[in-house]
Amino acid sequence: MVRALRWIVFAIAVLAMNFPIIVTLITSLKSQRELSTNPGLWISQPTLDNYLEVLTQTSRFNIYAYLLNSTVAALIGTGLAIALAFPAAYAIARSEAGKRLVLPIVINLRAVPLIIFAIPLYMMYQWLGLLDTRIGLGLILTIVNAPLALVILVNAISDVPVELDEAAKVDGASSLQVMMMIVRPVIRPALVTTFIFGFITAWNEFLFGLMLTTSRAVPMTVGASFFFAASGGGVKWGTASAVMMLGALPPALLGLVMYRQISGSMTAGAVKG
Amino acid sequence: MALVTRAEGRKYLTPLVGFLLLFLGFPAIVNLIYSVSTVTFETLRSPVLSGFGNYVAVLNDREFWSSAWFSLRFGILTASAECLIGLFLAIFLAPLLSKRPVLMAPLMLPLMVAPAMVGLMYRLVLHEFAGPVPYYLFEWFGDSPAFLDIDNAFRTLVVVETLQWTPFAFLLFYMAYSAIPLDVREASSLDGASPFEIVRWIDLPLMKPTLVIAFFIRFIDGFRVFDNVYALTGSGAGGSTTSLSIYIYQAFFKEGAIGKAVAASVVLFLASFIVLHGLNRLAGRRKL
Repeated sequence: MVRALRWIVFAIAVLAMNFPIIVTLITSLKSQRELSTNPGLWISQPTLDNYLEVLTQTSRFNIYAYLLNSTVAALIGTGLAIALAFPAAYAIARSEAGKRLVLPIVINLRAVPLIIFAIPLYMMYQWLGLLDTRIGLGLILTIVNAPLALVILVNAISDVPVELDEAAKVDGASSLQVMMMIVRPVIRPALVTTFIFGFITAWNEFLFGLMLTTSRAVPMTVGASFFFAASGGGVKWGTASAVMMLGALPPALLGLVMYRQISGSMTAGAVKG
Repeated sequence: MALVTRAEGRKYLTPLVGFLLLFLGFPAIVNLIYSVSTVTFETLRSPVLSGFGNYVAVLNDREFWSSAWFSLRFGILTASAECLIGLFLAIFLAPLLSKRPVLMAPLMLPLMVAPAMVGLMYRLVLHEFAGPVPYYLFEWFGDSPAFLDIDNAFRTLVVVETLQWTPFAFLLFYMAYSAIPLDVREASSLDGASPFEIVRWIDLPLMKPTLVIAFFIRFIDGFRVFDNVYALTGSGAGGSTTSLSIYIYQAFFKEGAIGKAVAASVVLFLASFIVLHGLNRLAGRRKL
């Protein structure tokens, strides 16, 4: 009896929380004609026409460009964040440096509304010629990702037995060699998790994409809203839905495959930080 | 002997610290200078110091206070709702999830989709002609409210935010709940405690630190909300959905009021600094 109730609550929670995704998926599979008569949650004649249209008609809105921009900027923003955070995490876990000032400040950065830095960054980018570039967007995404990357990696390195480092030290390895050749392979799972989680976060970022790009480097989150800009005849809900599904697919797929690892890193900052 | 000397440690910290100083430290200084200057888009590189006029303008701006009020209410309401529902789901569904961990995946899916994208999706969900929600409300009750007009927009946004981020609170609570040793519960059950009493007197006290942390994380995220609100209403609905982040964005990009936008940024920075400082001291004392 209670068991059945648990299943019912589970089903309701999943349906309610995923409702916008479900509706968008259904809408994306309806034909233009059906859309005008049937806004309900069933499809009488499913079709892939909307996806075909989005993927082939690239003259007005080029979805490939948005997807590529998001991919490149997210890769930069994740790779660079890890490259910067890994040595810093090693220093914090294994030496006296950085514990008192750097770690707490960087952790708190996660809670600071980043918009307060947005205006000077905009001016700085204008001056450096980084506005509307993928590299510029990637550098900002590095800032977004760095705090959590640092927390996850500090936790991971702290869990590595110190004896491992010591043994390598006795054999004559420098601290740089220990970091790259002993610690790095051992914490590889944490590095992968950080990368996946960072990539999802970067892909889903919106504010800086909106402010710092206009045409050439527009990411998917911002590009998707262009499909809503009514151009006579209102929004074409079928194609707009297909665009949203395609834009949400990469992080959703990564997340569904890696949900176990991701739940760990989502809570990392909260529980141990 | 430390494995890594302090000097070496500093060396390894340098890239990260240097990067953050360049991308956050420098902007922070620019913020401070520009907030006490007269500056327009034409005189961007030669601001003229002019005292605290920008701060006075911001603090006298009714829009600023109404957006601060929006952010505060929004943060508290969404964080409370997310924590309450998340807590219920975590405890009630735990027996189901511990046997079939894969059920976590659909519960976590909303966290993987961009809030801006979810905002756009709700434009469809709530659209008066194309959206299923108004369609079924009309079908069943003969009427449907205008979800995004001035009276309802705030409530709608609270629900949208809560539905997307409840999984986060749920996740934290489920982890904390699973970490409670089973024998503690079994012992109290043998002593005759009802399931409700166990939750009330064993589980909740043990989960208290997580409850506090989850609430603050969700409050801060709700307070600084931008993406889904912007995507869904674009601060429309008669300005009734202007959060502080949107206020700053608009002051800069729509009005070109750089001084005002920057002064508001500094005020927001100070406010979050005070909150974070208090939270850190609390965490330090309780060893959360």
